[in-house]
Amino acid sequence: MTSRDESVSSLERPQPGVPRPYTFPSFERSRLDNGLSVISVDLPARPLLAGVLIVLGGAGDDPESEAGATVLMARALSEGTDTYDAIEFVEATERLGASLHAEAGWDALSVSVDVPAERFPAALDLVAEVMARPTFPASDVERLRDERLNDLLQARADPRRRAEEAFIETIYASSSPYRHSAAGTRETVEGLGSDETRRALARRFDPASMTLIVGGELGGLDVHALAVERFGSWTAHAHAGPATTVDAAPSSMERRVRVIHRPDAVQTEIRVGHPGLPRRIPDFHAVSVMSAILGGLFNSRLNRKLREEKGYTYGASAGFDLRRSAGPFAARAAVNTDVTVPAIVDMIAELEAIRTEAPTADELSAARDYLVGVFPLRFETPGAVVGALSGLVMQGLPDDELARYRGEIEAVDADAVLAAARAHVRPDEAAVVLVGDADAFMPALEAANLGPISVERDEA
Amino acid sequence: MAGLTIDFTDERLPNGLRLVIAEDHVAPVVAVNIWYAVGSKHEVPGKTGFAHLFEHVMFQGSAHVTKAEHIGLIQAVGGTMNGTTWLDRTNYFETVPSHQLELVLWLEADRMGTLLEALSQENLDNQREVVKNEKRWSYDNRPYGSWNQRLLAGVYPPEHPYHHPTIGSMEDLDAASLDDVSSFFRTHYAPNNAVLSIVGDVDPAQARAWVERYFGTIPANPALPVDIGDLSLPPILGAEVRETVVEAVPLPRIYWGFRAPVFGDHRLDALDLAGQILAGGKGSRLHRRLVRDERLAQDVSLFSLGLVGGASVTAGWATARPGVDLARLEEAYWEELQRLADEPPTEDELARAKALTEADELGSLQRVEERADRLSMYATLFDDPGVVNEMLPRYLSVTADQVQEACRAVFRADNRYVLTYLPAEVPAEVPPEVPAGDHAADAAAAIA
Repeated sequence: MTSRDESVSSLERPQPGVPRPYTFPSFERSRLDNGLSVISVDLPARPLLAGVLIVLGGAGDDPESEAGATVLMARALSEGTDTYDAIEFVEATERLGASLHAEAGWDALSVSVDVPAERFPAALDLVAEVMARPTFPASDVERLRDERLNDLLQARADPRRRAEEAFIETIYASSSPYRHSAAGTRETVEGLGSDETRRALARRFDPASMTLIVGGELGGLDVHALAVERFGSWTAHAHAGPATTVDAAPSSMERRVRVIHRPDAVQTEIRVGHPGLPRRIPDFHAVSVMSAILGGLFNSRLNRKLREEKGYTYGASAGFDLRRSAGPFAARAAVNTDVTVPAIVDMIAELEAIRTEAPTADELSAARDYLVGVFPLRFETPGAVVGALSGLVMQGLPDDELARYRGEIEAVDADAVLAAARAHVRPDEAAVVLVGDADAFMPALEAANLGPISVERDEA
Repeated sequence: MAGLTIDFTDERLPNGLRLVIAEDHVAPVVAVNIWYAVGSKHEVPGKTGFAHLFEHVMFQGSAHVTKAEHIGLIQAVGGTMNGTTWLDRTNYFETVPSHQLELVLWLEADRMGTLLEALSQENLDNQREVVKNEKRWSYDNRPYGSWNQRLLAGVYPPEHPYHHPTIGSMEDLDAASLDDVSSFFRTHYAPNNAVLSIVGDVDPAQARAWVERYFGTIPANPALPVDIGDLSLPPILGAEVRETVVEAVPLPRIYWGFRAPVFGDHRLDALDLAGQILAGGKGSRLHRRLVRDERLAQDVSLFSLGLVGGASVTAGWATARPGVDLARLEEAYWEELQRLADEPPTEDELARAKALTEADELGSLQRVEERADRLSMYATLFDDPGVVNEMLPRYLSVTADQVQEACRAVFRADNRYVLTYLPAEVPAEVPPEVPAGDHAADAAAAIA
């Protein structure tokens, strides 16, 4: 076997070839008379089309007492329409070989469909059907509501979902809807029914806040004309209003520790963070490079330290959830119970260090080159291209945002990374949320002196 | 929709490395995928989990690559990568901008040729801890997390290597030594045990030249293939196997496991369509009856895992809604399996299942990474990468009678493993430090 060693050792590490130029696919925009926007992007050799109808405004617009109504509404859209009952509807989509999916998040409602090009017009009929003529049968909305309540039970039992739930509840002020999931809480979901889902759709139903995006090998398909036929007669609902600005206030500016005690848990789920940033910020590209270095890349500072040096975890990461308002910033890891406190100390140390230690040349180039290089890989399929355009629409970003992306990332320097970290990573204001066996780490946690500690116990 | 045909070349280097290349210049990206014909089925008692631990060691450096540098280099050129271990195989794959192909081939060749030069006790110990944390995260600290190891143990007999899961046991992971790593590498990680697929924006002549340059001098292992004995099994369990687990889960859940025909057998294609008809989305029989109409279940699932060694496994589950008697849920689920075993699906149901299967196949094959993985898979398991172009026609040729026959052969009471999870009783005491808030109230409701 010794010859193995000689075989490769004489060969130098190769240099890269010449990159093939890449630009984000160009797209065309048009607008219907009622204000509905249309974006189409022709992607040769991609016969499976992706289409999505985006409606601006989402869970962020739910009245607090009806939190979860928009997400429930999206799930209930395909439960029956004036033309089809729920089963007829799903059978109609399946006959097209189409998958139709409606969902809502904080910033938008979307109905998407993937379908071969020749069946696209028929699939778009179904998209129009669910958006304009849903019936929200009481009994089916009730079933979906109960499924959500049961899902909340499951979330509470699953350590990582429990940690996420406790984390956002800890970092946001009681006035902020971001302190719970977009799908609502047990208290609010219990009160939801067809009236609430109907109202949630009415609040959003204005063609002027809708955009149809279609990508794939269009082969002469006139997307604008298809949209006119199906959506051209829509008018705004009397109760429709503009999307509101979500309150993202923090609950506290002090570091504190919240422990959810689970006797005998073999790992501790750790979250460290605070309310983060909205998507529309001037230093978005510097923030992207900074988070890649801190906790995005495999060789990020957090993963290198906690996984590759210490073996504490299967993976440590950090990042910002960028929404129209400031979504959470969190560093995350699930660690062996024995090393809970040393792992937290290491995580906080890395959050400090990213603010004080400028990235090395290697770190900077690895992060920039990754973000620049992975860009074409992200847009291999029509679904991914349409998804990126949906992001532009949902976040209200300019049309050249994606075309400018690579140049902007390449221009981020060490000073910009350091400035982004100093401005947006604030370990002194962070909440540390733990789900694990407190009996195993409480003395060490107290000794570490990280801030006031509260402990509670889940019964499951 | 017209089926997509993937054109490829298929050849072997003198040292046995199989090379499959498929050009596609739509996007400036290329996928590289290596399947090694070694999986957890090659593990012997006392060494479970080793194939997977070894996969981690493959990222710890080789003669000219330092620890974690492989991943660092791939990410730094804007690529994605991973490795995965399964019962029948281990795979390693990268997708990169196409002008970086040579670097990827060099990296894969360096570790195939010289992994042991960089091996250290420190790196092995570090990755052992990482893998143990992976096991805690994926299995031990997760509600219902033990289901797949229990199911494999229920469907395959103890002497069969599919009896144990790829993650292995903590004790065996602790026992893994540097000698184990060396001997595993020398045995299995040889060019004549690997298929290298390159798919995407590639010049085949150039790629071939690079592969010959970097892999060509790595010696074959003449002792391959390793004899792991006869894995054949009786087609059915022979008697029902039943297991009940009481632990901290929020809702009762039932899992099913059945022995099924091996991967590659046309009857398994029919079972895949049966899975679509029974549980593939909101129009499926189980979803309609158990979730929508009778409201017994929170969710349902049914699918087959294709395996080549003796028998595949068809698995399913359903989570009971609160207050639902699990026996009633089990009975209703079983009745639906029996109904498809007793009479063929309607032509409309079968046509819908085929349309969805076609859309899934075409959707998956859009990505070069998936195409490369399938080419490696079919070359490794069936000695024929061309199966990639046969699967969709095979699915579309399945008849309603074949679906029924496959269900009748598999969904039998004497071929079922039934695993139920029941919520543990939890004492209602509340520790004094708990703030009077909604947490305690919610948790109590979870138990009720």
